[in-house]
Amino acid sequence: MSTLRERSPASYALAGPAALWMLGALVAPTAFIVWVSLWATRSFSLANALTVANYTKFFARAAYVRVLGDTIQQAALMMAITGVLGYGIAYFLMVHVRSPVLRFGLFFVLVVPFWTSALIRTIAWIPFLGVGGVINQALLFLHVVDQPVEAFLYSRAGITLAQVSFYTLLTTGPIVYTLRNIPPSLREAAQCLKATPARVFWRITLPLTLPGIVIGQILVFLNVMADFATAQAIGGHKYAFLGNLVILLYESGQLPFAAVIAVLLMASMLAGVVVLLKAVDIRRLGAP
Amino acid sequence: MIPWQARQKLVKTVLGGLTLGFLAYQWLPTLTMALLSFTGPDGGTTFPMRGVSLYWYRELLRVQSVDDFKPPMLRSLVLALACSLTTAVLSVAAAQAMRARFRGSGTFFYLILLGVMAPGLLVGFGMALITRMLGITPSWHTTTFAVHIVWTLPFGFLTMLAVFNRFDRRLEEAALTLGASRWTAFRRITLPLVLPGVIGAALFGFTLSFDEFARSFFTTGSEQTLPLVIYAQFDRQLQPTLYALGTATTAVSLLAVGWAVALLRLIRRRVVTGAATNP
Repeated sequence: MSTLRERSPASYALAGPAALWMLGALVAPTAFIVWVSLWATRSFSLANALTVANYTKFFARAAYVRVLGDTIQQAALMMAITGVLGYGIAYFLMVHVRSPVLRFGLFFVLVVPFWTSALIRTIAWIPFLGVGGVINQALLFLHVVDQPVEAFLYSRAGITLAQVSFYTLLTTGPIVYTLRNIPPSLREAAQCLKATPARVFWRITLPLTLPGIVIGQILVFLNVMADFATAQAIGGHKYAFLGNLVILLYESGQLPFAAVIAVLLMASMLAGVVVLLKAVDIRRLGAP
Repeated sequence: MIPWQARQKLVKTVLGGLTLGFLAYQWLPTLTMALLSFTGPDGGTTFPMRGVSLYWYRELLRVQSVDDFKPPMLRSLVLALACSLTTAVLSVAAAQAMRARFRGSGTFFYLILLGVMAPGLLVGFGMALITRMLGITPSWHTTTFAVHIVWTLPFGFLTMLAVFNRFDRRLEEAALTLGASRWTAFRRITLPLVLPGVIGAALFGFTLSFDEFARSFFTTGSEQTLPLVIYAQFDRQLQPTLYALGTATTAVSLLAVGWAVALLRLIRRRVVTGAATNP
């Protein structure tokens, strides 16, 4: 029994505002994008005839298809890097750090940047990456190179460096959560039965953390696919992902075509999530 | 073949190094930016620093006209406070409704969660298209506010669900048995007990809105919010003023987090001592 009766009509009144807000400001706008992508002319009118010509135009242009490929490739690269890095960090925090205070402290320092501005953090990368930047100064000082490396700023490498620092947290979090739900007795039982730590990891720990891994991968995939700010700020308009293309076309007034790319972005994100969810039954999350 | 004890130790060292290395990697840019914001008047945007001064912070306060960041800062703060309040109220209401397991609550849950999944770029772009169709002029206190809530609400909602999951229902039942009305029981028993969660939801509402860029990009009219102004200036020219501004806004975010953590500790202490003095 709670302060609200089971199935009471009042619950509709309580859920109503939030539901209407999400429908009005989230579902309706995204559905509208799909419609606009089918408009036959550039003029902004609901009377437009509907056509799939905009889509055929997209796939007819090699440059656009390449951007789609680049975006998916970048997402796959980021999923691999942050997956390994995030798992290592989560495993160290939950298995190797024994003191709860130290564990909480490390986790806090790891999470706090999530509450600060991603834009500012992107800008903060600039003095690191440039020809006279911190990385180059360090490399010159250590005599690793004798010419400054130009490959950091305005490059895919620079974008990746920055994205790793933003998105690793997204993989660490869910894995920490699933690791915490594994009873220590399970590992101890395996050890009593003379399993080596490596065997315990591969046969017990890893399978049980799989849902956490998949959730982390989904979060990174979604974020990298739609990330345009990092590419714009660090890639310096030299690199475009699908998101940058949407903005470019939006600003030049080609709304139906911008909508096409937005829809393709949405579709590839949905497809990715479906594939990832196929890999593991997410409803098992948290079950020991 | 290395014995497994030695291997175990090696794994611990490697993972520990990885963790500390990543923490440094994650924090160094922000700390460097903070350090460089205190460079002298002749300083540039990278090392070496030329003297130590508050010159760029004073410059920030002095600048008028186009680059004046004060009105956008005020707008972002007001917007963040409004989002904070709205997120807290809607999250509590939505989570309370979920407890009553109404028909369609499963769909409702996923509808709210969609807000985390949908990228800001798409939500913002869609909102821009719809306002154009309806003939509404976009502005930071209408359209931007609407799409910010879409982003902040799921975080507050999940926080409140987690809090209600651990909630001891017997306390409410006791109040109801003793004749309290449902509203009184909610106000006097439920709300004070879940207050830490409400503060968490409000914190999400504040910081996520204050820093939001992608959703604002499409939906804010001529009166821009702070992240948009920062981005515009960054696109024109990178100057140490931007480092000063970045350091200042990061400080605002960290203050919000610190304030919430302090408030949570205060509440916990009061609950603990309250339980001790009222047997």
